[in-house]
Amino acid sequence: MAVDFVFSFQCPEYFVLQVTINSIIYASEIAVIAVGVSLCYSILRFANFAHIQLAIVGGYLAYSFATIPGLTLPLPLAVFLAAIATGLIAVLIDIIVFSRIRHISAEGKMIVSWGVALFIRSMLAAIYGGSAKVFDVPTEVIVCQGGIFTTLDITVVGVTLLLMVLLHVFLFRTRTGSALRALASNYELAVTRGIPGDRLIRLMWFLSGALAAIGGSLFAMQTRLQPSLDLVILLPVFAAVTIGGMSNVFGAVIGAIVLSFAQNFLIWIDFGSLFFGEPWHIPTQLRDYIAVLALLLVLLLKSSRAGGEKK
Amino acid sequence: MIDFAIYSVTVIAIWSVLALSLNLQFGMTGLVNFGQILPFAIGSYAAGIGASLGYPWWVGATAALIFAPLFSLAVILPAQRLSQDYWALITLGAAEIFRLTMLNTPSFAGGADGLNVPRFGDSLTALYVSLGLLAVSFFFAERVSRSPFGRMLRVLREDEVLASTLGRNPIRYQASISAAAWIMAAAAGVAYGHFSGYVAPTSFTVTETFIIWTAVILGGPGRNIGVVCGAIIIQLLGVSSRFVAQWVDLPSDLIANLRLASFGLILVVMFIYRPQGLIPEAREVHDAERD
Repeated sequence: MAVDFVFSFQCPEYFVLQVTINSIIYASEIAVIAVGVSLCYSILRFANFAHIQLAIVGGYLAYSFATIPGLTLPLPLAVFLAAIATGLIAVLIDIIVFSRIRHISAEGKMIVSWGVALFIRSMLAAIYGGSAKVFDVPTEVIVCQGGIFTTLDITVVGVTLLLMVLLHVFLFRTRTGSALRALASNYELAVTRGIPGDRLIRLMWFLSGALAAIGGSLFAMQTRLQPSLDLVILLPVFAAVTIGGMSNVFGAVIGAIVLSFAQNFLIWIDFGSLFFGEPWHIPTQLRDYIAVLALLLVLLLKSSRAGGEKK
Repeated sequence: MIDFAIYSVTVIAIWSVLALSLNLQFGMTGLVNFGQILPFAIGSYAAGIGASLGYPWWVGATAALIFAPLFSLAVILPAQRLSQDYWALITLGAAEIFRLTMLNTPSFAGGADGLNVPRFGDSLTALYVSLGLLAVSFFFAERVSRSPFGRMLRVLREDEVLASTLGRNPIRYQASISAAAWIMAAAAGVAYGHFSGYVAPTSFTVTETFIIWTAVILGGPGRNIGVVCGAIIIQLLGVSSRFVAQWVDLPSDLIANLRLASFGLILVVMFIYRPQGLIPEAREVHDAERD
């Protein structure tokens, strides 16, 4: 095994495999959170920045359920309960805040969502403190055909795939799902045709909150749980959603995949040898630059299509 | 006590300039800038980097006033013809990128440790400089607000298509007002750098941007005197929280977090119950026959 490991660092094909594996794992983490932003945008037409905080809330709730003495639930159950609780919190936020401002402009809602985000973030920091929490996840390293990953990675990708399939079945194979899509494509028309708009909006909030919580928990298990984790998630998620076209739920998944592959491969490619003869890589800290550049690129393409997308 | 009063007034003056700058962009023109901290950071870092390279203060200040409008054009021009959600995303991304760049270039910008900036000779100089800056900014914002240019900005805010039918090019108005607003914020940044004696990436996060937003929304978007009042209230809450921490004997970071939570609450509550702010924008009525 050890020989195989060394070999994998010398042989480029194995490296491609490894970078692909990393990209898939990262894309899964981003996708679960990004679909919620798209769901919200597709129906309510505003970029909900508080969504990122819901992901962090979910992570902290899962952590609490799994570690509070006397309640030490097994991790899958803790994440499941956190998802339900976060979904309900999202519905509560809608009842208290967003349902009152349905009529104002998209910019207004976006600014309010920042206010909500600031509130949640500070309350989390006040309750849990700024120090990092680490999920105690039993995990094993698997070396397979030169690719290295952990059992946790498999869980992350598996859970994401399962959630995406479930979401697809729900949106495209059930009556409620069709009703949600009808609201997204033309809200007024759908409501006039007897679709209960308000109730479905609550359902949408529940779904996106629950998905955010699961995504946030998965993200936190891979790294560490901190109130400042939101700044790590924010740019890639919104870049993925923008690449996917904002209101297209599965576009956001594609966006996450495109972004993740772009980030991992651009960091992996040895630009130095390609152009100057000396090895040089894009430093890994520049991941977020790639996210923002991807975002800018997509927006430039959009704006060169002149007017069509406007407002 | 008098020292603390001088300190507070200086802080309030600097943040009022930032609020005025955001008001020119959002309140008057309707540009949703979620990276308002960026020009402020450019100003502070220009002061810091200039000082670390051994130049006198005015070199850093000049660099700040040159780079800030250039950055604003670089950010706004790609976003033309796009709706405001995208502009918000781009400005947010630009501000984060700048912060990360400073964080990841320790040899140039000090990295996470930040840079030392020479302080003002004494606290009164800092006070006078900040108040002078506030006076100039306020005068400028009021002049813009009352000019035909300012009226056209308001037309743009309400209806870009209408502005275009009047033969005006929206992007030229948006670009020039944001360049001017960013110069203002960069000047505040230079003053802040020399006032605090220290610049570090932690001072320029998304949270700081939203403190400025809270001040503008609280005071009254579109009304200069309103946003200055908003900034005063928000910063008074900010500086007084250290007394609160002493009285109630709670850890200071808990108080800091509760203060931020209250800012979030103020932002949301104002938007729901009083979107026009404490001092609303005056509605101008013009009669073409009589004017």
